[in-house]
Amino acid sequence: MGFVFLGRLHYRTLLWCGIFVLVISALSCTRSTSPSTKTSSNSREITDDAGRLIALPQRVDRVVSLAPNLTEIVFAVGGGESLVGDTTYCDFPAAAQSIEKVGDTLHPSLERIIALRPQVVLVSTASQLEVFTQQLQSHNIAVFVTDPHDLEGVFRSITEVGEIIGKAEQAGILVAKLRERAAAVDSAVKGSPRIRLFYQLSAEPLYTAGRDAFVTDLIKRAGGESVTADVPGAWPKYSAESALAARPDAVILPTGGSMGEGNSNVAEALSKSPAAQHGRVYKINDDHLVRPGPRAVDGLEEMAKALHPEAFK
Amino acid sequence: MTVTVSDTSTAIRLRENRVTLQKTVTACLGLICALGVVVVIAALLGSEKLPVGDTLCSLVSFGTRQCGLTNDQFDILFQIRLPRIFLAAAVGGSLATAGASYQALLRNPLAEPYLLGVSNGAAVGTMLALLFFGKMEWSRPLMAFVGALIATFAVYRLARGKVGASPERLILAGVIVTTFLSSVIVFVTTLMDATRIRSFTFWLLGDLSGATKALLPLAIAISIGGALVLTFNARSLNLLMLGERDAFDLGVEVSRVRTVVFVVASLLVGSSVAASGSVGYVGLVVPHLARLSLGSDNRISIPAAALTGALFVIVADTVARTIIAPRELPVGAITALIGAPLFIYLLKRA
Amino acid sequence: MLEARELTIKYEDRTAVQAVSLMLQPGTVTALIGPNGAGKSTLLRSLNGQLIPTAGLILLNDQPIEQFSRRAIAKQITVVAQEAELRFPITVLEFVLGGRFAWAANSGWGWESERDLQVAKTVLIETDLTDLSGRLMSELSGGERQRAVLARALATEAPVLLLDEPTANLDMSHQAILLSLVRQRCDSLGAAALVVTHDLNLAAQFADIVVLMKAGRSIKVGNTGEVFTAELLREVFDMSVLVDAHPISGVPRVTPVHEVHRAN
Repeated sequence: MGFVFLGRLHYRTLLWCGIFVLVISALSCTRSTSPSTKTSSNSREITDDAGRLIALPQRVDRVVSLAPNLTEIVFAVGGGESLVGDTTYCDFPAAAQSIEKVGDTLHPSLERIIALRPQVVLVSTASQLEVFTQQLQSHNIAVFVTDPHDLEGVFRSITEVGEIIGKAEQAGILVAKLRERAAAVDSAVKGSPRIRLFYQLSAEPLYTAGRDAFVTDLIKRAGGESVTADVPGAWPKYSAESALAARPDAVILPTGGSMGEGNSNVAEALSKSPAAQHGRVYKINDDHLVRPGPRAVDGLEEMAKALHPEAFK
Repeated sequence: MTVTVSDTSTAIRLRENRVTLQKTVTACLGLICALGVVVVIAALLGSEKLPVGDTLCSLVSFGTRQCGLTNDQFDILFQIRLPRIFLAAAVGGSLATAGASYQALLRNPLAEPYLLGVSNGAAVGTMLALLFFGKMEWSRPLMAFVGALIATFAVYRLARGKVGASPERLILAGVIVTTFLSSVIVFVTTLMDATRIRSFTFWLLGDLSGATKALLPLAIAISIGGALVLTFNARSLNLLMLGERDAFDLGVEVSRVRTVVFVVASLLVGSSVAASGSVGYVGLVVPHLARLSLGSDNRISIPAAALTGALFVIVADTVARTIIAPRELPVGAITALIGAPLFIYLLKRA
Repeated sequence: MLEARELTIKYEDRTAVQAVSLMLQPGTVTALIGPNGAGKSTLLRSLNGQLIPTAGLILLNDQPIEQFSRRAIAKQITVVAQEAELRFPITVLEFVLGGRFAWAANSGWGWESERDLQVAKTVLIETDLTDLSGRLMSELSGGERQRAVLARALATEAPVLLLDEPTANLDMSHQAILLSLVRQRCDSLGAAALVVTHDLNLAAQFADIVVLMKAGRSIKVGNTGEVFTAELLREVFDMSVLVDAHPISGVPRVTPVHEVHRAN
């Protein structure tokens, strides 16, 4: 008898809890799906690298960056104060580390971003887009996609970011300086024959840079010829046989930056290559080679000097 | 009541319905020949073209003669391609043998190293070895073995009810452990630097490109040794396949055989996973193939599974490293692509 | 040959067998009868060493059974239980040859010898399975499978047979054939058999000694005349029975008396 009474009590409690939960979630659902009617001063529009037309307020002073290269660009154009959030991988310059973290590049925390109330979120590839664009837009947060494939793309990104955060002038100066340095490299290596090289991303398993990797363009500009420049994809897993048969005259080992001590030895398949035999194995800070930002020009210079030392005497 | 029966005719009829030494030796020799042919063909295929005649000549001489191959071609053949082929054979043989033994011991045709959590246990063990003892290569198969044993133990304890571990409970417990460990693997590999402990595609889909000089002989030795030990317990496993109680009644030392199978199978799986990550479907499909063609008698089906497993993974790996050359696919993707439809077909046949 | 002295088997929560003694002599068939839960199967399972008794002794050829290896026991004692698990395809011949395991030169490996094949052939003839020897066990009927299980037990050539309800799935004629085979084994080869059965009349027909159990204890041990009395059976089975003599064979015949009220 007592159990039946308790049973009925439980049932009722559960029923009301259930109704309560449903009502709350219905309310929050409706709130987030209804388009915001508040129009801030949306008085300019910019096209991003994904071809989307982005509406932005005239004055942007709260920006979140979701990629290390974009963080570097923001600081480089003097916009450090506007940066209110970045990812756990954003470690350069030093000031970037004390910025509030919103997660990593692939799975940032939507709530954190929204809580920071930025006006625009900068993302580095279109693939991050679908995941949260809808959500952010409903909170009046614009998403700007940058997608640089080569050094020109980097210059464009710097210009775009400068324009967004109101540092167009600084951006212009920075781009001009970087162009100058790149041009200097171009003319220095112009006369020398291209060096055939292998870009080793990791030894075991063997990964290299393919056609769509950012660094492939840098290699070309530095007076090198990546033996894997035509391989489809960005970071393909590569056959050891083909690496051996390619007989590269130089090997680039990206290491020492975010990679730490890893990847500091050539892969087994390259141990008898002309590169290894003549000691032409070059370790370069990986952050200078894979981040499409201002330091890419550092990477360009380092590679060029390694490949064509005689041109830089 | 005496029944007069023609002795010779009954004897002949009796002989046809069972597995004999002769049948086993014939089957094994046939499979070894097939394996030899497959090894040679796989040695001729790769992302770099090698001249057929010179390659065959050099192979036949076991690498003592270069036969017109350039230094690079010789290196490709004997330093990269053949070690990889042998590793594929060792991994395939080990996983198939382990699968066949699990299926016999646990009386469950679905038992295999991945489903039982053993592969993932070995993977976690190897990851820890890479994290903490990165330089010492020997730590990897050792800790993989330990990981595999711990997973086996966990599954067995989870599955043990009042009447012992029924085959169904073992699979259920195995699935729980393996999915849990898969999540652990993805979690750790996402957080940590992939160059140190490999990406999760390595662990969950396998990769035979790391045939290092030190670990390859170990993998081969374990593969052959393990298969031999388990084959020498084949008669006990035959009886165990019919139930632990019946086996006990007929004279099998059940707990001893169970321990041997668990330990040896863990060793086989551990050495494979440490070398190449987890290559799925081999332990599941190959023993079925062997049993369907040659019968359930483990004296023939275990060695046959070992040899067929070696064959299967060599073929899968050859596809994985040539189909989008010079890029490579993970070998586990190919074994799944071949293995899954093959398994469905075998199920329909049975 | 096989003797249990004051055997007690306890589980955590209950006592399955309490101080039971019995002796299996060569050439005799002993029937073990009693209601469900009396402990008959538990007792049988402990006699070949599968269950460790809490107290008491089991002696095989006057030596404690713990001293024997698994294979040695298997050569002396064989069990005919309910159907085996058949998850993998196996022919009748392969199944029956499994009984020769204990005779293999190495444990776990080896091939069947000529003698093994000979024994298998004989046993298949005895159980009338020769024509089915090439078929898969899964293709056989329940009764045929049970005969194969008996055949395998006979193939071990063990002098002590423990049978746990061996006639459960057999039709009348095959029930008789199976027990005749067991009887013959005991008479001509001096084997000893212990048969756990629910069929009291079959027990009366074939057994020399009957052990009547209830709630773990042995209530009465004796020949069929001594054990098959209406009073004893009513006390143990909680049911009225009529016990008379079989008109042709003269052995005790037990007929249960059902109190069924039929509506007219």
